[in-house]
Parts: sequence; C-alpha cells; structure tokens
Amino acid sequence: MTKWGMVIDLEKCTGCQACTAACAMENSRLPGENWQDVIFFTEGEYPSVQLKWFPRPCMHCENPSCVHVCPTGATYRTSDGVVLIDWDKCIGCKYCMIACPYGVRFYTDEKPLVAPDMRKVFGSNDGHSWSPPWRMPDSREDWKRGIGIQPRGVVSKCTFCYHRVSKASKDTADLDPSDPRQREFTPACVVACPPGARYFGDLGNPESEVSKMIADKNGVRLLDQLGNKPQVYYLTGAGAAVPSNRALKRT
Amino acid sequence: MNSATEPRNFAEVALYLARLWRQEGTLRFLAIALNLGREKSLAGEMWKYGVVIGLLSFAFVAFMLLTEGGAAFNTSSDGINWGLAVSVYIFFALTSSGLTFIASLSMVFGFREYYSIAKRCIWLAIITLGAGFAVLALELGHPFRMLWAMPAGMQYLSPMFWMGVFYLIDLVLLLIKFDRLWHDDWDSPLSHFLSIASFVAVVLASGMLGLVFGSMVMRPMWYGSFTAVYFILTAALSGAATIVLATYMAYGYRHENMPEPLRSMASGKALPKVFATLSGIALFAVVTRLWTGLWSNLDGLEGFHALVRSPAFHVEVWAGLALPFALMIAPALQRRARWQITAGALVLLGMFIDRYQFLVTGQAVPMFKGAWASGLVEYAPSVTEWMMAVLGFAIVFACYGLGEKLFNLAGDPRHRLREGAEPKPAYAETGARAD
Repeated sequence: MTKWGMVIDLEKCTGCQACTAACAMENSRLPGENWQDVIFFTEGEYPSVQLKWFPRPCMHCENPSCVHVCPTGATYRTSDGVVLIDWDKCIGCKYCMIACPYGVRFYTDEKPLVAPDMRKVFGSNDGHSWSPPWRMPDSREDWKRGIGIQPRGVVSKCTFCYHRVSKASKDTADLDPSDPRQREFTPACVVACPPGARYFGDLGNPESEVSKMIADKNGVRLLDQLGNKPQVYYLTGAGAAVPSNRALKRT
Repeated sequence: MNSATEPRNFAEVALYLARLWRQEGTLRFLAIALNLGREKSLAGEMWKYGVVIGLLSFAFVAFMLLTEGGAAFNTSSDGINWGLAVSVYIFFALTSSGLTFIASLSMVFGFREYYSIAKRCIWLAIITLGAGFAVLALELGHPFRMLWAMPAGMQYLSPMFWMGVFYLIDLVLLLIKFDRLWHDDWDSPLSHFLSIASFVAVVLASGMLGLVFGSMVMRPMWYGSFTAVYFILTAALSGAATIVLATYMAYGYRHENMPEPLRSMASGKALPKVFATLSGIALFAVVTRLWTGLWSNLDGLEGFHALVRSPAFHVEVWAGLALPFALMIAPALQRRARWQITAGALVLLGMFIDRYQFLVTGQAVPMFKGAWASGLVEYAPSVTEWMMAVLGFAIVFACYGLGEKLFNLAGDPRHRLREGAEPKPAYAETGARAD
C-alpha cells in the first residue's frame, strides 16, 4: 500500500515562499491562511543573530493526534497515508487544532489574518466561506476530503494536494515534477519549489527516492518525541537544522 | 420565597397557565409571567432580570454571529483556539458536576443532614449544565451537526466524544432524578439506583472533561491524569459554593428564615467543615500544579511564569481560595451567614478565574507559529465572548428563580413526617449564632 510522504532538503531551501504562493493559488487559500507555511525566526543575539526559516506543511502523521481527538470522525487518514478533513462532518470544535503539535490547522470563522478581509471583498452566496475570482474549478472541489474553498465554521489544512496525488498511478514510487508524465499529479508546492528542495513519493516503498534520501541523508522528523510519526522528513545536512523546538523567545 | 403548592407534572403547569391567561388577558398574563406571580418575590425578580438580560445578551450574540460569525471572537488559529466561551462551559459543567457530588452526600453516601439541600442541588445541576451547553453551542461552528455527527462517528478514541456521552447521560439522569424527587420519591429502589448511576456518570463526565485536556501531551500545561483529578476536586468546590449561595439566597441570606434541619446544618459545623476541606484541597492542587510548572524546564511550561505575573491568578489564589479557607476554619467566623456567603461568592469568583486561566495559559505557548508569534500568545476576550458569559449566568439566574417558584426546592424526605414527629436536627448546636 502506498504511503505518501515528503522530504524537504533544508540545505536547498532558500525561504522564497514559492511553495506558500503555489499552495495558496492551487487551493484557493485566504491570505494568511497558509496551509504550506514558511516560518521565519531568529536565533542568537546581535551581532551574532541569524535569520532562519523553516518550511512547514501538514506533517500527515502516521499516528495523527488530530484524528484521534476528532469527536465526529471528520478528520481521518486515508489508506494511502494522507490526513484529510470531511467538511460535511466537521462541527468546528477546534479540538484538532488544540491537539496538532505543529500548528498547521486553520479555523475558517475568525478575524482575518491579513487585512482587508477577503471574505467580505469576495463574498459567497453558495455555501463557501468566500468566492475569489481565482478559485479552484468546481469539478476538483471535494468537501469530503477538505479540498477546495471550505464552508464556514470548519477547520482546514494542507491535503498534500490530494486532488492531484490521488490520481497518480498506484505503483508510482516517486512523483517527480521534472517528469512531464507525473507533473500534474505532484503537489503544487513540490512543483513550484525553485531550488528543487522538495521531494514527494512513497515512504512504504524502500526503492523510492524519498526512502533512499531519508536513509542515506539521515532524514529527521519534527518533534519526534511526541510520537505522531510525521510523514514529512527534513534533510539537515551540515548547514541546516530543524528548530530544536518551538522557537520561543524565553521570557 | 418558597412555593406553597407544587404542581405535580408539566400538564398541570400548562393547564394552570392556560386558565390564568384566559382569566387575566394577554397583557396582565405576561406581566404576571414575568414577575412569576401577582406579587413581587425574590424568585420573580431573578426570573425577570434573568429573562431580560438573557434575551438582550442572546440578541447581541446572535446578531454578532449572524453578521460577523466567529470573527466576533478574539480567538485565532495562530493564537488561542479555545477562548472565554469554552472556559465558561467548563465552569458551568464542573459546577453542575460539583452540585451532583453534594447531592450525592445524602442520596448516595447516607449523610442525612444534607437531604435538605439535595433537591436544590439537583435543580441547580440541571440548569448550570444547560447553561454550559447553551454557551458551548454558540461557540461551535456547527452545533446542530454535532447531534448526528457524534453518534454516527463513534470516535471512541476521542476524549471529547466520551465527555459528550457522559455529560449527556448525566443530564438525562439528573432530569429523571429530579422528576422522581418532584413526585416525592426519595427512597424507592429506582430512586436509589438513579442516585448511584448519576454519581458514577458525573465522576466519569467531569473526569473525562479533565482528560480532554489531560490527554494532550503536546500541551504540557494540561498533560497528565492529575488534570482529571483536579477537575473533579475543584468541581466539588464550585458545587459547594453554588449551593451555599443559592440556599442563602432562597432564605433572604438569614439563618432564621431557614427551616430547622437546614438551619442546623448552616449554623453548625457541617457546612464550614465541607467548605474548608474542599477549598483546602483545591488550594493544595493549584499550588502543587504551579510548583511543578515553575520548577520544570520543559519547553511549553512557560505559561506558568505568565500565570504568576497575572493579577487575576493572584485574585484566584488569595481571594478565591486562601481567604475562604481561612474564613471557614476560623472558629469565630465559620458559622456566621455573612462569612459563609462571602466565602461562597469568593470561591465562585476564584473558580471562574481558574477555568479561564487554566484554558488560556495552556494554549499560550504557540506551536510552531514563527517569528510573529515567538513570545507567549496574547488574548483578551471580545465583547461578544463576554456577552456569552453573561448569557450563561442569565440562564442560571432565570431558571433558578423559576425553579424556586415552581418546585419546592427545599423538599426533603423528612417533610413527609411533618404531620407526625419532627425529626431531630442533624446538628443541635442551638447556641450557634445566626446573623
């Protein structure tokens, strides 16, 4: 069985946020509602201060706490290892947001993260929370899988572009955007990444490039001690590192 | 304030109201309904102000939710996800659980002196739980969807699912139990069974509410089985404070107005003993939790440092727990109505703050939110959130006034003996001062 996962090479990542923009365009995200975020933070103090960045999609955990806490089963894990939300079942209790250690979930009905409020600029009359002119085609929208523009009162998050990935051939080991036959099935952030820092493939297949990279280059997972077992791995090499923890300035 | 006659069932209530409407005309009927009678009474005033304030606050909240939706709250995805409304729900749900614990003292554990407050406890438990559910429903994105999605989903791994199941069972049992007491059935096998089942359900419900937070290993300020115990213990305290205040309210804040078994309990050692024990335990629980939080270097516990710097936390600890504890162990003060009422009010204030602080500081350490949220998250409830809290209290006040008027909340299995011998008071400290 396929187990989709992602590898992000932090030595290659330039923090350009093309992944954030591509995700927002592909999935019709509200400004600021970055399913695929790049976190910027500083370490050290002047004059030894460093600006750092860290790309962070949903980790699509093998053992997802968001799925376990959901009281209705709206959040679930597919057989190919992707964590999705059924917007027709979500009651907007936000327990999944409380339980996600990575902070990758967004509640639709709250003050706009970026002004002006685009939900008011592009209001919707058809049950969507908003209706931007660049929205995803209706044929691709799938509320049972949390794909498209969400209705009001639900939680949303990165789907690994499930509307693309799920159409890939079942025996695919890697989805390589440089291969024209696979490009349209590859997640938007992987396709758009200018330095090619992102890789997407089957973690359950030891022959896949992603599996080999994790093994050969010591792929690490974020907050591994919590036991969620993310399916997003980071390659840190010699010149990069995952933030040791929450990048909190001690007060 | 107590009603002289009690309707036997809701059909009788409806018939009486219909007859009254026909006799008095619509306007006068509405005036009587708003005052709960032709003459002014404390119950009528509570009902009237509760209904008016409740309707106004509901209208405000409904308007804001219809025009702004959840944007009317100050909660956010990159900050505090659960805000004041959820803490108000926790406050009411745990108060309800505590009231059931207090009712169980007589109905399950056989401490007969507490019989005289049991029926009032059950009624208050029903309405505080109802108020909590009402506030929570306004906070949820899709409250009506919950009614089918939770049973259909059967998410047995979710603490929230079990919290819902146990609180629903608790509410149903409370309603049946109250119906039995309404019909003067205090000691049938069914009534005993309901009391025990209700006690078990409420232990599970309040404990499970604790585990909604206690299961969250990624939120270290909440994590651990202690949270469930903490919720159960502090629930008992807020239940005790509520019944003290509500009982005094019913008798014009004076011992002299109380019927004998109740007067003995209030002016004797029984009430201060329970109150001091519970506030002492709660104080111990709050301080030990703070100690481990401040002592540990674990990332995510920084919220405890913010807690110590918060003035509200000090109000909770010193005024809401330490002072009531001191009042209730001081021999010169513990039996006086004035200080018992003060202690009750302070404890409720303290518990309200506790639920809020517990909830908010537990989320104050942001989870991977980047440079824009690198300190602790700031949060202050919006006007809409405060109005939801007001609505919750208005529901409790209105329903308490209604219950006081409609049902004989001072009901006691011993009142059936009134025709015969007067039962002995539980505590015969007749010299106890009642001020």
